[in-house]
Amino acid sequence: MNRRFTCIVCPNGCEITAELDGGKIVSVAGARCKKGGAYVRQELTCPRRTFSTSIILEGGKLPLVSVRLTKPIPKEKIFAVNELIHRQKAQAPVRIGQIVLENVLGLGSDVIITKNADRLS
Amino acid sequence: MEHQYDCIVIGAGVVGNAVARQLSACSVTIAVLEKEQDLCFGTSGRNSGVLHAGFNNKTGSKMARFCVEGNLEFDRIAEELDVPFKRTGKLIVGFSDDDKNSLRAMKAQGDANGVPGLEIVGKERIRELAPFIAGEFAMYSPMTGILNPFIYTVALAENAHKNGAAYFFACPVTDIFYQDGRYRITAGGRNFASRWIINCAGLESDKISALLGIKGHKLYPCRGEYFILDKKAGQYLGIPAYPVPNPREGGLGIHLTPTIDGNILIGPSSKYIEENDNYSVTQDIMDLLIKDGGRIFPYLKREYFIRNFAGIRPKLVGPQEGGFADFVIERRSEAPYAINLVGIESPGLTSALPIAREVVRLIREVEPLKPNPGFDPVRKGPPAFAGLTNGQRRALIQQNPDYGEIICRCENITKAEVLEAINRPLGAATVTGVKYRCRPMMGRCQGGYCQTRITELLRQEKKLAVKEVLYQRKGSNMFTGVALK
Amino acid sequence: MTAIHKEAVIVGGGPGGLAAAVKLKQQGITDIIILEREKQLGGILRQCIHDGFGLTRFGETLSGPEYAQRFIDLVEQEKIEYRTDTTVLSISPEKHLTAVSPQGLLEIDSAAVILTTGCRERTRGSVAIPGERPAGIYTAGVAQTYLNLKNIMVGKKVVILGSGDIGLIMARRFTLEGAKVEAVFELQPYPGGLARNVEQCLNDFDIPLYLSHTITDIIGGARLEAVIVSEVDEQKRVKPGTSRRIECDTLILSVGLIPENELSAGASVALDPRTGGAYVDENFMTGVEGIFAAGNALHVHDLVDFVSLEAEKLAEAAAKFIRRGKLPVCGIKLVTDKNIGHIIPQSISGTKDVTLTLRVGRPLTGGALKLQQDHQDLLSQKFIKLVPAEMIEIKLAKELIKSTSEIKVVIAHE
Repeated sequence: MNRRFTCIVCPNGCEITAELDGGKIVSVAGARCKKGGAYVRQELTCPRRTFSTSIILEGGKLPLVSVRLTKPIPKEKIFAVNELIHRQKAQAPVRIGQIVLENVLGLGSDVIITKNADRLS
Repeated sequence: MEHQYDCIVIGAGVVGNAVARQLSACSVTIAVLEKEQDLCFGTSGRNSGVLHAGFNNKTGSKMARFCVEGNLEFDRIAEELDVPFKRTGKLIVGFSDDDKNSLRAMKAQGDANGVPGLEIVGKERIRELAPFIAGEFAMYSPMTGILNPFIYTVALAENAHKNGAAYFFACPVTDIFYQDGRYRITAGGRNFASRWIINCAGLESDKISALLGIKGHKLYPCRGEYFILDKKAGQYLGIPAYPVPNPREGGLGIHLTPTIDGNILIGPSSKYIEENDNYSVTQDIMDLLIKDGGRIFPYLKREYFIRNFAGIRPKLVGPQEGGFADFVIERRSEAPYAINLVGIESPGLTSALPIAREVVRLIREVEPLKPNPGFDPVRKGPPAFAGLTNGQRRALIQQNPDYGEIICRCENITKAEVLEAINRPLGAATVTGVKYRCRPMMGRCQGGYCQTRITELLRQEKKLAVKEVLYQRKGSNMFTGVALK
Repeated sequence: MTAIHKEAVIVGGGPGGLAAAVKLKQQGITDIIILEREKQLGGILRQCIHDGFGLTRFGETLSGPEYAQRFIDLVEQEKIEYRTDTTVLSISPEKHLTAVSPQGLLEIDSAAVILTTGCRERTRGSVAIPGERPAGIYTAGVAQTYLNLKNIMVGKKVVILGSGDIGLIMARRFTLEGAKVEAVFELQPYPGGLARNVEQCLNDFDIPLYLSHTITDIIGGARLEAVIVSEVDEQKRVKPGTSRRIECDTLILSVGLIPENELSAGASVALDPRTGGAYVDENFMTGVEGIFAAGNALHVHDLVDFVSLEAEKLAEAAAKFIRRGKLPVCGIKLVTDKNIGHIIPQSISGTKDVTLTLRVGRPLTGGALKLQQDHQDLLSQKFIKLVPAEMIEIKLAKELIKSTSEIKVVIAHE
């Protein structure tokens, strides 16, 4: 059986065809780099994603500050993690890399601030 | 509580505001009731912005008389009210023998109406006046001009307001009855009383007529669609260029008009519709505009399109009859204290002040109106940064640093101008209101840069919650709320 | 008021302008200034909070604000002068700039002017969508500003027209912020954005993408109530009987980007109708000597990394220009066949190795991309698949160039 994947590791977005036998990968074709194979393996066992969103920033010039995950998490946990992130608030000033949630839901990824924001003077 | 006035004007379009201003020169109390959130949200803000010369209308008609009168006096009016205006002249171009006969007839009509300077010109003169316009011959009308219809409408209102007229927005009139020498009016949940009513309700003027007890007026909404072209195309056209109109259509033909700000309008089409508030643009008409516009302007390119819009003519003649009916401006025995204006379509913009004087004349037939000794006819608009010299800009920024912050990068409109549009008396309460007053979002990016800034300034100045920001009409809320609480 | 003098003025403090400034400084050009109209440096990246930036330039994946901050930090470290809240009003062909800020007017005479003004979005007006004119219709970028910078939701039930990357990214953002994205409709028979964004922004969230579809009517007098979508044939004509109504309160347009070149026109810089940006030579110099352009102001890029890299190459050339007062004549024109959407640069000197950047006009499978001069192949690169969403680079070594005749860039089918 063949299954097609669009690799999301980099903007090339390689279209990869994997030949499968049961759950096992027999061969992988179409990837322009070796990350493609790894991506397909990951997709077959436990697809992972990162995402970005914002949290409320108190005392800053903007009402929000952006955050992201440092590592991909299982795809099905996106909404649970998103909800948890949205309950967080930050106090200005904040700096890039500042951790908002450590090891979120025990998934091995941190949620970090991705924008410097000063206090509103 | 009942608000009491001597005169209530229904409708804050160009005619209603002209009437209010004319009345404000008399010693009477005035209120203007507007169903929309702001001035100029109907036909007054949705037209070609042309000051017509008066040759299109039947000799002896009110349309012809008021249009010629309004045209001739407009240099003074533009000065008085600080309205951007230019007497560009206009060409009506023809290709066939039929066209030539029509143009000759049109010229004869114009001459009879008292329109100065009309002449039939050849190809060479067309090239001279409008080098990018096609046509074998044309009628040239030197008196035709272009003006900013938003600013004119706003200026009349501001001047009326300055001279004492009160304005009530979001007040659609739902009931009128006459009792104890006064009209009692229900509008937008408020109660008003007035000795006089002047119906300037434009597209709703037949309904107001009916509320006044005047039978027999039916309006046929007739939509005209336009394309707006980028200022890049503006260099090709300094003068309105029209085809020879088809008399059956009841429009002036799909024409090209430079706007006072340097864009070009193509349109309007002419199509009878059912609803009087459906401002849709349609694929068929867009295709037609491109085809017909391209006939007299062969340089038309798709990349010049920045926006479409539609306006609706309040016509007294239906699709079967076609053509134009004259303006109805009447005082009838059924409603002796109402001046009823119906079917004020083109050339209503040009005729607004003469119409307003006619209204006052009709009232004076019944009662004397004393002049308002404090009346000041002058209205000054705020400075527009884009049109200033660098020296003037420097001086302005020194006085007010907000003149140094560009809000609209296509049109170089500053924060100071937007704040002024919002905070002036009768200022803008909606996004479109800001746009009409100082033209951000009218450029080629259509608000891509400035819209977020304008909604923020509106919220800040009017203390609006996110959900309360309106695009234009009631219910046209821009946002559904905050994302994160 | 007299003008101040600069070696280089950089118009626009986004990723292109920041990278150009830092590189110029590193090349020893010290008398430079960045003019930025926003209140902060960073350009559009400030609102691109999604990640996926920086893989090429920094070897790691960053969000937009982080990517911008890397360069902003370098600008600060290098003590490069910049002014925010400053909008350039005009540039003359003699490289005299007039800018405005709340502090007043600023007039600058500069040896070199670098245009990194980015791009703007195509609007409903420019694509002429029929229908009513209610509130609730936004370009993807404007909706992104509201959501990511101002904490404002423009709507709850969203239809997206156009599958450009910003539209795809916004589909995911809307979903994560609690809105329902009904579907994405694309006029072309292929997606406008990158395949990875179709995968991780739509497929992951079960948002359908309908290719060869467009919006044929907009319903709603005050706020948007519904759109009518229809299928189109190869000629983009609406197929009769395919229309259906979709209830929604919001329509997001992601129908293309246009390089911002309003200032260029005033400076007499000639624009290439294929890119919407300036014609440039291998030094990223426009037709006006001393005026340079790079980034999305020159041609719309797929990735910010390439914007920075292009701006850095520009800066190397501009530094030479500033030192020597001139650059080699670029008399070899690059012309393309109908398969190629556009190419940058449009002319080269033949005296140095160059990297050409191009996009195909439509998806192509199986063939070779060839450069030909005097009816001979200079080089040929085989490909399996090329799509318009991706930029393609070709390295052309100077040794391969045989004459000063024009070089044709063509697609040969297998």
